[in-house]
Amino acid sequence: MKISFILNKKNVEVDVSPSMRLLDVVRDVLGLTGTKEGCGEGECGACTVLVNDEPYNSCLTPIINVANKEVMTIEGFRETKSYRIIADAFASQGGSQCGFCTPGMILATYAVLKKNPHPSEEEARLALSGNLCRCTGYQAIVDAVMLAAKKGIEL
Amino acid sequence: MINHFVPKNLKEALTILNKHDCYIMNGGTDLMVQKHVSTGLLPKFDKDVLYINNLKELDYIKKDEEGIHIGASTRYVEIENSPLIPNIYKRVIKEIASPNIRNMATISGNIANASPAGDTLVPLVLNDAEVVLTSANGERKMKVDEFVYGVRKIHREKNELISEIVLKPQELSYFYRKVGSRKAESITKVSFLGGVKIENKVIKDFRVSFGSVAIKTVRNREIENKYIGRNINELDINEVINDYAPLVTPITDQRSNKEYRHKVAMNLLKKFVMDIKEGGINE
Repeated sequence: MKISFILNKKNVEVDVSPSMRLLDVVRDVLGLTGTKEGCGEGECGACTVLVNDEPYNSCLTPIINVANKEVMTIEGFRETKSYRIIADAFASQGGSQCGFCTPGMILATYAVLKKNPHPSEEEARLALSGNLCRCTGYQAIVDAVMLAAKKGIEL
Repeated sequence: MINHFVPKNLKEALTILNKHDCYIMNGGTDLMVQKHVSTGLLPKFDKDVLYINNLKELDYIKKDEEGIHIGASTRYVEIENSPLIPNIYKRVIKEIASPNIRNMATISGNIANASPAGDTLVPLVLNDAEVVLTSANGERKMKVDEFVYGVRKIHREKNELISEIVLKPQELSYFYRKVGSRKAESITKVSFLGGVKIENKVIKDFRVSFGSVAIKTVRNREIENKYIGRNINELDINEVINDYAPLVTPITDQRSNKEYRHKVAMNLLKKFVMDIKEGGINE
């Protein structure tokens, strides 16, 4: 079935089953491997992408559910000014170690700051509660979110 | 051969359901896990699939004299942010899964999935919420409490779609606790919701529901009616516990064990009754 959506600000059309996971469409069909698969069942958030600016787990999203919507993966987001500020904050605070959760963490960080530019630490933790990290122990990530908030992500 | 149907509107969806026995795919957060095979492979279905998440006609929250109507494809995030939704539902939904999942998942899906650990079932049952079942032949309504009758068992006919949920706002004060292993992304071990209305120390309404401790959400109107009309000073904690103890019949599974679940359920009930006796619920 032909399904159109907007990926990283460009119109794309794929010819796949409507049941195919958005994750598999971006990685295998469109070749964008920045979006990671961790658990494959919606627990870890490594596969986070933005759908109409809201974070979704792409491993649980049948592709048809994003038909005609705007999908942003880390590859598209890295072209924005917001990305640079958030990525620098993660780098300076040690918020990324092995890096596997980082694309999801960065997109989740953007999503919370867009809704709430000055979150409390508690709010930041809640907003990232669907993104697991096995390296940092989270404090460095929360510090990165707070630093990015302080700098302002230039929306 | 499995068919994947993507209807353009509700009418088309109902026409398809009249001819085909389908899984209903909504937000996907349960079904995509249940039918997942492996990385790079399509989810495996053993019958046709009907996709309803994009139906704009089913994406709404509105209020009238009957109650608050939530369309089937309305997502948790929309419910959390709507001024029309009673706080008790927001309180329960905020503790479900993670923000990502709540951006995708629907309350109609939580009902249809009919898990004993389905978190929204607890307030839906306690507050007499209804599901609207629509087919090409018309529609009917049923209380959520009756609609879900067992583990993954619902009274949906093959040609029907849960098109809407109707919340019935109640004048109750609530005490809610979800018990899990961690704050976010936790599947409930035990949940408890008590609702009460007290005037001049007399109980005008009294309701209790438990989640994850039986094949379906526990609620018993006979026991509730026994306590309505009673003065809070004559409310005996042990009597209430003895009434509910036999109804709470949890199992041991990977998340918890039956002894722990029973104990916690009874402790939460005890706390609810103690709070009533000590002057009320303030949540």
